[in-house]
Amino acid sequence: MTQEQFFKEISDAIINLEKEKAVELAHRAVNENMNLLEVIEKGFGDGIRRIGDLWEEGEFFLPELMLGGTIMQESMDILLPKLKSGGENISSGTVVIATIEGDIHSIGKTIVGTMLSANGFEVYDLGADVPAEQIIETAIEKNADVIGVSALLTTTMFGQKKIVEILEEKGIRSKFKVIIGGAPVNKSWTEECKADGFAGSAVEAVKLVKELLNK
Amino acid sequence: MLFHDWLKDDSKIILFDGGMGSEIFKRGIKPGKLPDTYNIEKPAIIYEIHKAYYDAGADMCQSNTFGASYLNLQTYKVEDQIREINERALENIKKARPSNRLIVADIGPSGQFRPPVGNAKPDQWVSSFVKQVNVLEEGVDLWHIETMSDIEEMIAAIEAIKSISTKPIISSMTYKKTKRGFFTIMGDSLEKCVDIQEKANVDVIGANCTLGSDEMVLLIKELKNLTDRPVSAKPNAGQPRIDNNNRAHYDQPIKDFVSDIHEIIQLGAKVVGGCCGTSPDTIREIKKVIDSL
Repeated sequence: MTQEQFFKEISDAIINLEKEKAVELAHRAVNENMNLLEVIEKGFGDGIRRIGDLWEEGEFFLPELMLGGTIMQESMDILLPKLKSGGENISSGTVVIATIEGDIHSIGKTIVGTMLSANGFEVYDLGADVPAEQIIETAIEKNADVIGVSALLTTTMFGQKKIVEILEEKGIRSKFKVIIGGAPVNKSWTEECKADGFAGSAVEAVKLVKELLNK
Repeated sequence: MLFHDWLKDDSKIILFDGGMGSEIFKRGIKPGKLPDTYNIEKPAIIYEIHKAYYDAGADMCQSNTFGASYLNLQTYKVEDQIREINERALENIKKARPSNRLIVADIGPSGQFRPPVGNAKPDQWVSSFVKQVNVLEEGVDLWHIETMSDIEEMIAAIEAIKSISTKPIISSMTYKKTKRGFFTIMGDSLEKCVDIQEKANVDVIGANCTLGSDEMVLLIKELKNLTDRPVSAKPNAGQPRIDNNNRAHYDQPIKDFVSDIHEIIQLGAKVVGGCCGTSPDTIREIKKVIDSL
């Protein structure tokens, strides 16, 4: 089997949502001392990008997106420790995400977190109903590149604006890219919040973070 | 039973109410607060909204119980109040209901998804809905299960109701428009959902929320081709815009919404109303259209 065929096999396992096969291929890549960065980029990364495309085409829905994301995560759990022990830093960036205080809706935020992890970002998911101050503290502590804040309710969206306000008060606004999401979020609200961008789906969120970090 | 008479009467278009949540938000509600708790804390507001819808001409209005299933209340840590929240909802709507109009029990999603998205199991859904239905059964004329994005959860809700009640059921899924047509977020096509709802023997098959009225016109066109059962439509008033005071506004002019509803009626829908962003003013204008038919 050529390398290209091996990469395609991995990518196909991801979009066919074959967990055991994806995990087995990850182990094989490690055991055969392959270039793991290339395996991730051309194999697993390609698979997760194709999942994103299928979502946008209306071929894939929430279950496929979640399943694809978790298969990707399990595979990365095998590959990343090997890479790190080899001195490679393959993280595309660090993202702290949470659903804002007062809002208990976590599904959308969790999916965004899963998809970002699947795409190579180091993700700290703080859960739902998290005060703005706590999100910012964690972002500082983890030296995050991006802060992602979700709100499903029009009554809790105000918290998204508060994130930027606190960052400005502390004089650290430029250290982070702030992105927002949730059903009621749109372009004008993003401008109002002075956030760096918004995403309407987990797939868009990945694209947005990559754009913002020039990845 | 009035509702069955209405269904049999070919000339009757049944006018449902409009949005409840968006009306409550207009009157101010604290961030993160579950609107269903207003049944207890602000009964006058809930009564006022129901009354405004009945006064606008709605044939039937639904109880403020969208989020009052056991699992959803548990998320807000008020599950021990399930009886009181649902009972007080009934009291509020009964007070507002004029004679010869109906009370519809509103049943919304549990907020808990099945794997791989979440961890919910069908029997958990059923027992959660049974707890709510037990309280509501005494005071309502029919059921509306709505905004379901998972056909399996819809089936659980239908099963829960049928284990307790023989009253009519309207079952409304919520769909998004994709390049391949209308699907639930869980990936079930309109066709598949309609097939399953027919087999579950519900009285009316519907769609609500997510879609604005213009896209709902397209969905109802497809839905009418898929079933001979009566059809219900409760679209949103377009998509919301958030103003500087952090309030949601639905900018779609009422006349545009009503014109789409007119088209939906012409396509053969039997039950029409509105979802998020629609108000008693919307229902009053739809009533004029129905009266002019």
